Amino acid sequence: MEYMIETKNLTKKFEDLVAVDHINLEIKKGEIFGLLGPNGAGKTTTIHMLTTLLRPTEGTALVAGYDIRKNPEKVREKIGIVFQDVTVDRNLTGYENMWLHGKLYHIPKSELKGLIKELLEFVELDQWANVILRKYSGGMLRRLEIARGLLHHPEILFLDEPTLGLDPHSRAHIWEYILRVKKEKNMTILLTTHYMDEAERLCDRIAIIDHGKIIALGTPDELKSMVGGDVIYITIERSDHRMKVLAEKIVESGISKNIKPVSPRVLAITVNNVSEKIPLIFDVAQNNDIKIREVRYTRPTLDDVFLRLTGRKLRDEKGSWVDIARMRRQIRMARRR
Amino acid sequence: MGKNLDVLYAMWYRQILRFWRAKSRVVSIFTQPIFWMIFFGLGWSAAFRVGGASGLFGGIDYLTFLIPGVLMMTIFMSSFMSGMSVLFDKEFGYLKEILVAPVSRKASILGRTLGDSTIAVLQGLIITLIAYPIAPGINILNLPFVLLIGLLMSVSFASIGIIIATNLRSFEGFQLIINMISMPILFLSGVFYPISTMPEWMKVAAYINPLTYGVDVARSLLAGVGYFDLIVDIVLLIGLSTVLILIATFMFEKATID
Repeated sequence: MEYMIETKNLTKKFEDLVAVDHINLEIKKGEIFGLLGPNGAGKTTTIHMLTTLLRPTEGTALVAGYDIRKNPEKVREKIGIVFQDVTVDRNLTGYENMWLHGKLYHIPKSELKGLIKELLEFVELDQWANVILRKYSGGMLRRLEIARGLLHHPEILFLDEPTLGLDPHSRAHIWEYILRVKKEKNMTILLTTHYMDEAERLCDRIAIIDHGKIIALGTPDELKSMVGGDVIYITIERSDHRMKVLAEKIVESGISKNIKPVSPRVLAITVNNVSEKIPLIFDVAQNNDIKIREVRYTRPTLDDVFLRLTGRKLRDEKGSWVDIARMRRQIRMARRR
Repeated sequence: MGKNLDVLYAMWYRQILRFWRAKSRVVSIFTQPIFWMIFFGLGWSAAFRVGGASGLFGGIDYLTFLIPGVLMMTIFMSSFMSGMSVLFDKEFGYLKEILVAPVSRKASILGRTLGDSTIAVLQGLIITLIAYPIAPGINILNLPFVLLIGLLMSVSFASIGIIIATNLRSFEGFQLIINMISMPILFLSGVFYPISTMPEWMKVAAYINPLTYGVDVARSLLAGVGYFDLIVDIVLLIGLSTVLILIATFMFEKATID
């Protein structure tokens, strides 16, 4: 078995909406692989197919060597999953939830108790073992779910938006666990996220997904080098035609060919030498009577990669929430049939 | 096999635990049957003593006639609500945990059904024990066997509940349907009045109602008056329960997430 997960033209359609569009991925043993993309890009649908909850419309995938279409039960034995939404029983205690999971995965009675203890300690919930989950915070529930997902020694761990909605402190905690799981258990982990920092911090390799398609794939550094330099963000005083003028003039003066408007007042300019280019940009602005309010520059981030590839900001969901709502509704309608 | 037993046991145990945690539910479930026994039972018991109307009920006191019915009614109402937990699991995510586990969905739904049935039967037991002091002539020695039949019957109603729940997504919808059909099921079962005096069309409806046979067994063994042959009751209950649980497992196996 060369890869722990191998998808072959994996596709899911909900009526005429293509949620996942012929995805081909190869994920190696022991790596943390990230699926990065905005809300509604098809990440969760991909996870649901790989974990045998949804049947692909077309194509298939091998998970831990088993075909998700032909051997879903075998696949289920090999994987641990932390879903995006909470899937523990909140009327029971942490220990009881772990125990039930152990029974569902047929863990021998003699081992179960010790295993539960070990994993609850791992996520630092051993003090809370006999407390009913209604008293747990969101971060604690996530930690419990991670512990539960690991209980049956899966070969692959799926984490769907593991830190969604958590406070910064809890996020840092979860990251630490994820990195430790990889290191101590040599686990293969597939995680989805729409947080840049999370993907950069955790993932060995990242696939950027948008509208159901993989639009880029590589290590964080490889992806960032696609941007082709550092990025300068220029905020001008007013949002009018002058921004377009400024962009044109900068191109004309040969400072950069890669300019993208980020918002009505902000331009993202990719350059290869920031300290030399910033004064030049100021000159151009002044010559054209354009006032610059703010300048900042960053080493390229995955955000810049996404912007470069799609022309949109990853987390800018202002214009798109209507689309997402529409798409979710379509999915619901399709499933109701 | 050992694997399926593990799942069966785990899912059974989960229902018991959940029930035990919901203390308010434990109390509220007893109020209805007790009200029926006190207000309806004691009231009519006195009325029927006038003019020898007890002949209608096989010559026994009305309360004695009613209590085996209320026992089965308690089991029926409790097990009928068990579909609710499927909806809860859909809503609060636990269903996914079950659906991705490498286990037989048949075993998991069967375990859940048996858990709910166990709870229903325990409730029936408690109701009978509460009613025993006010009902002369209840043959309590037969209670264990009656409860066993109650368990069989509750599997039917738990299955109907699950069939309804797997096809719905809202609690309100489920409540509505359950409320709408539990009234006719109750009145078309012989809990409150004998089947023998029902109009013909009502009899037909009563014959396809699992509760009818549960009530009949309970009344034969606890109060000494029955309408059908015991064997007929038991065979029909086994048949109905088997068919219904098969449909319920089939529906549940088809279930995916939404």
